[in-house]
Amino acid sequence: MYKASLMKCEYDKERLIYLLNNPINETERTALEKHIEGCPDCQNEFEASQKIWTLLGEIPQPAPSDHIQADFRKMLANYKETVTEKHNFIESLLAKFKQLWTLQPSLQLAYSIVLLVTGLFAGYFINHSKEPVLNGEISALSMEVQDMKKMMMMSLLENPSASERMRAISYSEEITDVNSQVIEALLTTLNNDENVNVRLMTLEALVKLSGNPMVREGLVQSITRQESPLVQSAIADVMVKLQEKKSIKPLQKLLRKNDLNEMVKDKIRQSLNKLI
Amino acid sequence: MDHLSDNTLMLKVKAGDLDKMGLLFERYHRSLYGFLFHMTNQKEASEDMVQNVFYRMLKYRNSFSGDGAFRTWMYHLARNVLKDYVKSNNRSAFQYDLKEIEERISGGSTADQLLEKEQELQALETALAGLSAENKELLVLSRYQELSYQEIAQILDTTEGAIKVRVHRAMNQLKSIYLKINV
Repeated sequence: MYKASLMKCEYDKERLIYLLNNPINETERTALEKHIEGCPDCQNEFEASQKIWTLLGEIPQPAPSDHIQADFRKMLANYKETVTEKHNFIESLLAKFKQLWTLQPSLQLAYSIVLLVTGLFAGYFINHSKEPVLNGEISALSMEVQDMKKMMMMSLLENPSASERMRAISYSEEITDVNSQVIEALLTTLNNDENVNVRLMTLEALVKLSGNPMVREGLVQSITRQESPLVQSAIADVMVKLQEKKSIKPLQKLLRKNDLNEMVKDKIRQSLNKLI
Repeated sequence: MDHLSDNTLMLKVKAGDLDKMGLLFERYHRSLYGFLFHMTNQKEASEDMVQNVFYRMLKYRNSFSGDGAFRTWMYHLARNVLKDYVKSNNRSAFQYDLKEIEERISGGSTADQLLEKEQELQALETALAGLSAENKELLVLSRYQELSYQEIAQILDTTEGAIKVRVHRAMNQLKSIYLKINV
C-alpha cells in the first residue's frame, strides 16, 4: 500500500475502462479488480469513471416521435413500389428474352435461311453486277474473234498453198454463225479447188452444215461438177447419209457420163438404190 | 420471427424479402435515433435521418455481405448519413459553446430548485453535449448503443487498442467538463 501510493502507478489506466462496459474474460476482470484494490490512484480514477458512467446511464434517453413508425412504413411501401416497378420492367424484358429463347429453334432456322438467302443474293449480285459489262465485253470480243476467223478463212481460201486452204476449211468449222458468205466460199471451193484433198475436206465441212438448205442445194448442184472419182463417191455417200431426194436426178445424170470410173459407177448405183 | 438474428433478417431483406426490414426497424430505430439525437440535438432532423438510414439499408442491401455484424454495418451507414447532414447544414452542430452551457446551468433560477440528482444529471448531459464530436460519438456508441470496443473499432475503421485509448481520453474530458459545471 505504502509503496503503491508513493510510486506512480505504472498500470495501464486505459484498461480501466474495460471494467465499465466491455465484456472481458473473468481472469482479466479479477486481475483488474485486484489491482484497483491495492492501488488508490487507480481506485480513485476508476470510481470517478464509474460514477460518471452510471450517471450517464441515468440520463433519460431521447425518444423519437410516435409517427416515426408510420413514416417508416410509408417509406418502405414507397420503396417496394419503386422496386417492383423496376422489377416488372426487368421481368418483362426477361420474359421477352425467354419468349425469344423458346422460339429459338424456328428463329434459328429462319435466321440461317435468311443468312443463306442473303449470302446467295449477295454472291449473285456481286457476280452479276459485273456480268453485264463482262458479258458485253466477252460477246463483243467473241464477235470480233468470229469476224477475224471469217476473214482469215476467206483470205486463206485464196492462198495458193493447199495446206493453207485446208487450214481455212478447218477454221470454218470453228465459226459458229456461218453466214451465206462463208457457205458460198465453201461451195466455190468444193466446186473449183484444184486439190482433191481440199475438196474432200470442204465436203466434210459442208456436211456438218447440212441443216442449212442453201448448203444442201449447193451440194446437190455440185454432184455433176465433180471430176474426181474420190469426191464423186464421197458426195454420193453424203447424199445417202442426208437422204437428199433432190440428188437422185443429178446422180443419174452423173451415172450416164461415159468417162466415169467403174467403181464410182457401182457406188452411185448403190447410193441410188438406197435413195430411191 | 423475433428469434432470428439481425444478420439473418438482413440477408432475407437482401434476398428480396423487404418486409423483414420492418423487424430490424423495430429493433433499432430507437437506439439509432438516440445516437443521431445525441450527435445533433435536432429532434426532427434525427427522425429524418433514421428514415434515411433505413432507406439506405434498403437501397444498398446488396452491399451487406453478412460477414460482419449487422449493427456495425448499420452504424457505418448512420455515420455517413450524419456526415451528409452536417455537410449540408454546414455547421458544427455537435458542439455547444461551453460558456453558453455554463450560463444555462448556473444562471437559471430553476436550477436551484432541482433536486441534487437532477442537477447532476443535467450537468452531465450538458457536459456530454460539450464534448468534441469525436469523443461524444465514442461515448454514445459505447454507453448508449452498448457496442463493444471491438465493434466500435469496426465502425470507425480502426483497432480496438486505438478505441481503448480514445474512450479513456473521452471519459477524462467528460469528467473534467462535468466537474467544472457541477461544482
